[in-house]
Amino acid sequence: MSIGVLVGIFLSVALVNNLVLAGFLGICPFLGVSRKVDMAFGMGCAVTFVITISGVVTWLIVHAILTPIGNAIGNPGALYFLKYVAFIMVIASMVQLVEMYLKKFFPPLYTAFGVFLPLITTNCAILGACLYIDMKPETQNLLNAAVYAFGGGLGFMLAITIMAGIREHVRFSDVPKCLQGAGITLLVAGILALAFTGFTGIGK
Amino acid sequence: MKKFVDESWLVLVMGVVFACLLAGTQTSLEARILENQARALNEAIAEVVPVVDTMETLTVDGNTVYKCLDKEGNLAGWAVDAVGTGFVDKIRLVAGLSPDGSRVTGIKVIEDLETPGLGNKIEGEWADQYKGLDASRKIEAIKGEANRDNNEVQAITGATYSSTYVTDIVNDVIERVRPMLEEHR
Amino acid sequence: MAKEVSNLEQFKDGVLGNNPVLVQLLGMCPTLAVTNSLENALVMGMAATFVVVMSNLITSTLRNLIKPHVRILIFTLTIATFVTIADLTLKAYIFEVSKKLGAFVPLIIVNCMIICRAEVVAIKKGVAKSLADAFGIGIGFTLALSILGVVREILGSGTLMNRQVLPDAFLDGHTWVIMVLPPGAFLTLGVVVGVVNHVRARGAKGGAA
Repeated sequence: MSIGVLVGIFLSVALVNNLVLAGFLGICPFLGVSRKVDMAFGMGCAVTFVITISGVVTWLIVHAILTPIGNAIGNPGALYFLKYVAFIMVIASMVQLVEMYLKKFFPPLYTAFGVFLPLITTNCAILGACLYIDMKPETQNLLNAAVYAFGGGLGFMLAITIMAGIREHVRFSDVPKCLQGAGITLLVAGILALAFTGFTGIGK
Repeated sequence: MKKFVDESWLVLVMGVVFACLLAGTQTSLEARILENQARALNEAIAEVVPVVDTMETLTVDGNTVYKCLDKEGNLAGWAVDAVGTGFVDKIRLVAGLSPDGSRVTGIKVIEDLETPGLGNKIEGEWADQYKGLDASRKIEAIKGEANRDNNEVQAITGATYSSTYVTDIVNDVIERVRPMLEEHR
Repeated sequence: MAKEVSNLEQFKDGVLGNNPVLVQLLGMCPTLAVTNSLENALVMGMAATFVVVMSNLITSTLRNLIKPHVRILIFTLTIATFVTIADLTLKAYIFEVSKKLGAFVPLIIVNCMIICRAEVVAIKKGVAKSLADAFGIGIGFTLALSILGVVREILGSGTLMNRQVLPDAFLDGHTWVIMVLPPGAFLTLGVVVGVVNHVRARGAKGGAA
């Protein structure tokens, strides 16, 4: 397992297949919490944090609980129908745990992005990243899975921060009335996604 | 304790009921789902190995290899499952090899996210070019007219990268798997 | 809304006035991701409708038993269960489409539209009203997805339901590939939302509604 593979996975998920702009995950916070750069950055940090932990924990759920039990009864996939329920429960409880932990041990960090934590449970970037880790052939070992999750989180942070930067400027421009709010945001996102397609091909 | 039971009995009951419901659905549909998945793979293998009746699944150097046998039980060819870097995301394909491992008998891309209309032509008849190429040498994807005697395929116009990536995956997997087929014959 | 609305009104409100995607901007991820063809859009719409109907049905049936602070847990559990059922059913009966939808079927779990209906309607109202609401929202969702699916499939691939609808001259290398790629999704939805806003603004000015 070379470092090159890890770099490849990281670049692929952070830029080329950016969870938000190419994978359409986490669109709700991407549109909702991108009015100010500092808010967007805080949200990005919170997501990166939770996504990395959840990615690792759900990997462990599949490879250390569901598969061994399945193997024990003779069919490795026997319990896979519990995956989705297990994943969402893990994410929800991870979010709660992280929130309580930060509040107790890192109060400054908690005040910085603690407010975003409850919103994250229904952020599809988290569940999406966990599902992709489960599906993709290259993330079947723990280290790759962790790198994938971390890269996915950073990609989300990058996308939402850029978006917020642009929106801070859009506020001063003369947007047609019917496009104000969601309309113009989506169009900006489209152009941003167009820019990100320029990253395709750097995976090699 | 009473408070705990009071608050959570519904969650526990629902958990049990739902788990049973899911287990029931799973049991009743599992056979069909597995059949669908197997059919998708079998169709791909049938395209790259001319006559297949039964298959044995082997693992060679980390790659899944399907040893294909015809009706009489003779070796009909090998189908190799391979994953590698593509232009957008990973490309997964099966490559067919003749029984003695000397010729490529076809390739079929099963999973890819290449650009629609350009790169995703690798899924279609473009891949037929690989039929009959020499497996002992490197295959090359070139722009413009390809010379089959030099083991070349013609790259898709506007998608040279996708074409090259497919060729790289095929070369790589053949190079690793081919020398080891002998012992599985 | 001060006065009690009829079931029919509740249904119509979900489809048009309060369309989950075009007006409330909920459930954006699947809206953008799976609308590169009409077929995908319809299947996704039906799967989500099934889940929202079942979730509303169960929640409103049990509404008097559910303790307030475990309600989100119960919603999530219910939704995740029915999403798994939908996912298994799709895999068993329309394997090809389910492969194309990929992770977006399980992602219905975190579709905020569904949990929002449980929270806003099902936990408070009776079974009949909750069902009317769920069908309205589900069909409104399917409708919005289909609009995007039609636009993107025609312009991006020159086909509709996998049948060619545009002349060969257009298909021969002139399709707007960008429409089936991610940027096309954002641009199309942006324009559609703009049009909807425009129409609504006019309607309000005319003193209708």
